[in-house]
Amino acid sequence: MENKHQVPVTVLTGFLGAGKTTLLNRILTEQHGQKYAVIVNEFGEQGIDNDLVVDADEEVFEMNNGCICCTVRGDLIRILSGLMKRADKLDAIIVETTGLADPAPVAQTFFVDQDVANKTKLDAIVTVADAVHLSSQIEDHHEAEEQIAFGDVILLNKIDLVKDENIDVVTKRIRKINPFAKIIKTTKCGAPLKEILNLDAFSLKRILEVEPDFLESDHDHEHDDDVTSLSFVSDKPLDMEKFQNWFGKLLQTKGQDIMRTKGILDFKGENDRYVFQGVHMLMDASPMGKWPDDKERSSRLVFIGRNLETMNLKEGFEACKSE
Amino acid sequence: MTTDLNQFPQLDKTKFEQRGIQLEIGVPVTCAVSIGNYIAAGFGDGTIRIFSSGEKHKTLKAHKGVILCMAKDGDNILTGGDDGYFLKISLKGEINEITNFGSRWVDHVAAHNGNLVCSSGKVVYYWDKNKKEPKSLNHDSTIGGLAFDAKGRRLAVSRYGGVTVWKKDYSNKWKSTKLDWKGSHNKVSFSPDGKYLVTSMQENVLRCWRLKDKLDFAMSGYGSKVKSFAFIDDTSYLATSGAIDAICWPFDGEGPMGRKPICLPYIGNKQVTFIEPFPDEKAIFAGLSDGSVFLSQIENENNTIIIRSFTGSEVSAIAMTDDKSSIFIGDMSGNTLWTSIWDQ
Repeated sequence: MENKHQVPVTVLTGFLGAGKTTLLNRILTEQHGQKYAVIVNEFGEQGIDNDLVVDADEEVFEMNNGCICCTVRGDLIRILSGLMKRADKLDAIIVETTGLADPAPVAQTFFVDQDVANKTKLDAIVTVADAVHLSSQIEDHHEAEEQIAFGDVILLNKIDLVKDENIDVVTKRIRKINPFAKIIKTTKCGAPLKEILNLDAFSLKRILEVEPDFLESDHDHEHDDDVTSLSFVSDKPLDMEKFQNWFGKLLQTKGQDIMRTKGILDFKGENDRYVFQGVHMLMDASPMGKWPDDKERSSRLVFIGRNLETMNLKEGFEACKSE
Repeated sequence: MTTDLNQFPQLDKTKFEQRGIQLEIGVPVTCAVSIGNYIAAGFGDGTIRIFSSGEKHKTLKAHKGVILCMAKDGDNILTGGDDGYFLKISLKGEINEITNFGSRWVDHVAAHNGNLVCSSGKVVYYWDKNKKEPKSLNHDSTIGGLAFDAKGRRLAVSRYGGVTVWKKDYSNKWKSTKLDWKGSHNKVSFSPDGKYLVTSMQENVLRCWRLKDKLDFAMSGYGSKVKSFAFIDDTSYLATSGAIDAICWPFDGEGPMGRKPICLPYIGNKQVTFIEPFPDEKAIFAGLSDGSVFLSQIENENNTIIIRSFTGSEVSAIAMTDDKSSIFIGDMSGNTLWTSIWDQ
């Protein structure tokens, strides 16, 4: 029988100096009884010496599939395929990205390459953020904002160096960009590894469990190119054809600005819940069994990205409600 | 209650499996080459096994990690590994280190007439057989594949954005020509007649250049990535993996443009993952994603025989001895078959 075991891959992002190397060193040195391979980038902040550390050049390739924002990490395809030939089986693989990297090509690699998708699976994007400097980094560097937007887990690190009220300010700033991420406050990245690795955050099933943590109020922001999030709920079932038309066109034309999408959908005439998630233009969707009897049927849709307010998302979504 | 295993139906073994030697190594077979009447096979744990008829196979511990690539250099085996070593190994088992790149992998190796090349990252290293120090040939992106032409005069290096073809000019200086096509190019090969250059791409497609006028064209329609291809019977056909059929493009006459490929179907609708030519014949060995291996005549699809039945694991290496007497097959779970081809 064909072996369907997939090794989970955690993508570790974070701005320069946030503490990625501290976390990597913990993963490599702690007694956890697990075998982890770590793929580090050539601009790593300090050398890590270990047999299970692989050097990578962050090579972003464009795919010729007619999708303008479909970029993948070519080096990752090569390295993951090499790691899958090892004699010893790995429990997990961790990919470190450079401080200025956009996490999207890494995530898209798992949607686009068949061999990678057969043998490994994207587990979660973990973003290490520097509690002292995050606010100014977000102002000055769009990369810092993107890394927060893509994170499934955000380690808010160095909180020992920040006053409590400032931690609240930073947390709110993170929430405004990304209402989904689990925020873990740490000093020296001291979170238990089980809260960082093997989370299955990209599995469609997990979307059913995660309740977005939205701030009540403000969608006001200072700059037009700020990353924000918007969510929509409908108790009225959606029309499947209308939704597919609207959503497909939306991702095709605005996919560069839409960074992540997640949703649970209730379609008229369908017994199953439909669940999906996307990274830019690429999407993974599937029916996820019947609606539980004790839960009201409703549709929820979340967008994280730039210029969301210009996309008439509310009107588009409203128009998908069934007659 | 005891179970009598003989009550269960036995899966039919092919006659090749019955008379050959089957091993369960438990580690992926990553590569295999023929050296005379010997076959050398590389494994994911850094070992090499050397098979020859009438002798027990020999096992050598060569690399600390995965053997990523292998080539033949005269009577020697060249290997590159994820331990950063580039090694030359004799059939007797003597291991010589050519170089070592530390934590950088040796991704590809090739040799022609005593001249050796390997690639690590974006750099190709070329050892002239008369020189100790290699010449570095730099590229802008990581190298996807290396190939000499049949005469060893040109070296093709595939990469992101196309292929760089290196050649020494009359003053012995390296000169390069670029063949550009957007996208990531992996395995590369010259046709045996030297007229064409073919690459398999990250997308499910092959790109081909006719070298006399640099005319380029695609061979497409594949359901998955083309990981294995080979020219058959000199330059009669290009046989390729990447579909549930073995796809064989005609390269005789004016080449494949405007012509349809021959598609050789196999039972079970599994993907073809490995292609190995049967030397000097219009025939191929096709390895499938379920571990089965078939021998087919290209121009007569009814003339197909099964060499190995399924193992459940993707075929990752096939090699035939130079005297065409024996064949080695390996898969990603480490199941190997070493057998004679001809009935006694």
